[in-house]
Amino acid sequence: MSMVRSEFRKVTTTKVLLWLTIATIAFSALNVVLLVFLTPRAMDIDSDLNLLLDPAYVTNILGAAGSSSIFILILGIIGMTSEYRHMTITSTFLVTPKRPRVLIAKGITYALLGAALGLIAFITSFAVTLIALMTEDHAPVDAIIALQILGGVVLAFAIYAFVGVSVGALIRNQVAAIVGALVWVLIVEALLTVFVDWIGKWLPGGALNAVLQTTNVTGRGGADILPTATGVVVLLGYAVIFGILASLTTLRRDIT
Amino acid sequence: MSPRGEVLTVTSLTKRFGKVSAVLDLSFAVQPGRVTGFLGPNGSGKTTTLRCLLGLVQPTSGTAQVGGHDYRELPHPAAVVGATLEASGFHPGRTARGHLRVITDAAALPQARADEVLELVGLTEAAGRKVGGFSLGMRQRLALAAALVGDPGVLILDEPANGLDPEGIAWLRSFLRARAEEGRTVLVSSHVLSEVQQTVDDVIIISKGRLVQAGSLEELTGAGLTQVRVRTPQLEVLRAALLAEAGSGGVHVEVVSPVELMVSGLEAAEIGHLALRQQVELHELTPVGTDLEALFLELTADGNPGGAA
Ligand SMILES: Nc1ncnc2c1ncn2[C@@H]1O[C@H](COP(=O)(O)OP(=O)(O)OP(=O)(O)O)[C@@H](O)[C@H]1O
Ligand SMILES: [Mg+2]
Repeated sequence: MSMVRSEFRKVTTTKVLLWLTIATIAFSALNVVLLVFLTPRAMDIDSDLNLLLDPAYVTNILGAAGSSSIFILILGIIGMTSEYRHMTITSTFLVTPKRPRVLIAKGITYALLGAALGLIAFITSFAVTLIALMTEDHAPVDAIIALQILGGVVLAFAIYAFVGVSVGALIRNQVAAIVGALVWVLIVEALLTVFVDWIGKWLPGGALNAVLQTTNVTGRGGADILPTATGVVVLLGYAVIFGILASLTTLRRDIT
Repeated sequence: MSPRGEVLTVTSLTKRFGKVSAVLDLSFAVQPGRVTGFLGPNGSGKTTTLRCLLGLVQPTSGTAQVGGHDYRELPHPAAVVGATLEASGFHPGRTARGHLRVITDAAALPQARADEVLELVGLTEAAGRKVGGFSLGMRQRLALAAALVGDPGVLILDEPANGLDPEGIAWLRSFLRARAEEGRTVLVSSHVLSEVQQTVDDVIIISKGRLVQAGSLEELTGAGLTQVRVRTPQLEVLRAALLAEAGSGGVHVEVVSPVELMVSGLEAAEIGHLALRQQVELHELTPVGTDLEALFLELTADGNPGGAA
């Protein structure tokens, strides 16, 4: 418990969390705006097709909250790698020489932060959706589905931040870890999903979408997704497996 | 009551980084109640040895233990050992107080300790400033403050005088002395013997990862290297007499100029007596004390490791 408090203090005494929170809010808001104002009708492409009158579409705009997931992954990665970057890992390991404990404390801390950011992202998309729809004719928002989306975002961001911590433990170089994660999420996984259609849903991004339940919403779809519960297990599995791998390899390395 | 010091034991410690042997079959012990200097030239393996003691570096073979335990097995390490290391870092955006509170939190110590140790090292004024703007000496003080938060019985400090102003060095000296007198274990590394000679009771000297000398400072300075400056117009006569005396061992004569010699291994009185016997005229006979720097250089010179113990 004291270690989790220490991790919270580490992250609240620097600026990274602030910047990534701003990025999360901005990106969620931006995506809502795009989903509202880039519909075929709003863009005068097809004036008869008013998606905003479709209750499913309107409710799912809230799913834009999940679009900032990459910032959550980066938050977790920085949480671990900045210790190596600034060599604060020395004093961290002096106080807690049993190193896997540090990883666990960070996992818990960043999962809590991820959950909080998931809530913030949802509130943002909810508020922006209501404001953006004020001037439009639109179908009502389905409260039950909205709550499902909220639960999905909170859970997905919590686990994804933990994945970030484990990735950071595995790849100690901060730039390499962030670039590697971006390349994986934006390029490798996207390509794999296109060319090997059964694999996509089992990859971290696919599992994330399963927890977010948003693939069909944001139009990224095509590939099918896992049931939500399975998605939770798979995504958590990645966090734990990366963490164990790190504990057996990079985390054991000499600190010099 | 101040906390108990622990014996530090390094036993047949070897650490290789790839092909480089940073530490080679090194053994020594550090006793509580004394200030021990850990000396060696750059790259001789001091920091590596200390990191092995602190569980940061895994020895290739051998052990480095605190009170008979591996550092990693200590249940509450911050309360047992306080350490500063040359490459330990600070997050530049964190304040001095923030840095220390991260540690007090992790070690389950009261938050107030952060301000107490800042006061102790004279950083109270800078407590709320970001470490990114700190000078070398201020970082050194902050590192020391971090080592002290748990009020540990063992202090392991890697070149703590680096970057300190003369006032800071004097303060550090008396501080370490007081800690040792309370019965704590104090191990301080340095690459300059003269820097610690006023501070330490014991010395451990290493070179190229191997032990060169371990013992009390008196033993070391009594090792026959007290120097005497001799000025005489009959230099050759005296030199021959001294060298004849050197046959019995331990005497070293160096010609400084046509009229000046530096003699080690003999007391001034002995040299004076010898000169009288040889009827050599003396113009000066001055004990100049132990040249610790020369001794240190000699001990750690190439090809010497392991020799002089
Ligand atoms: N991580 C590392 N990888 C490779 N070699 C290393 C590493 N750390 C130390 N060494 C090597 O081990 C040897 C001992 O280094 P160490 O830092 O222990 O010396 P030191 O006595 O502390 O020197 P200094 O007085 O300069 O601080 C050096 O040759 C150094 O290059
Ligand atoms: Mg060193």
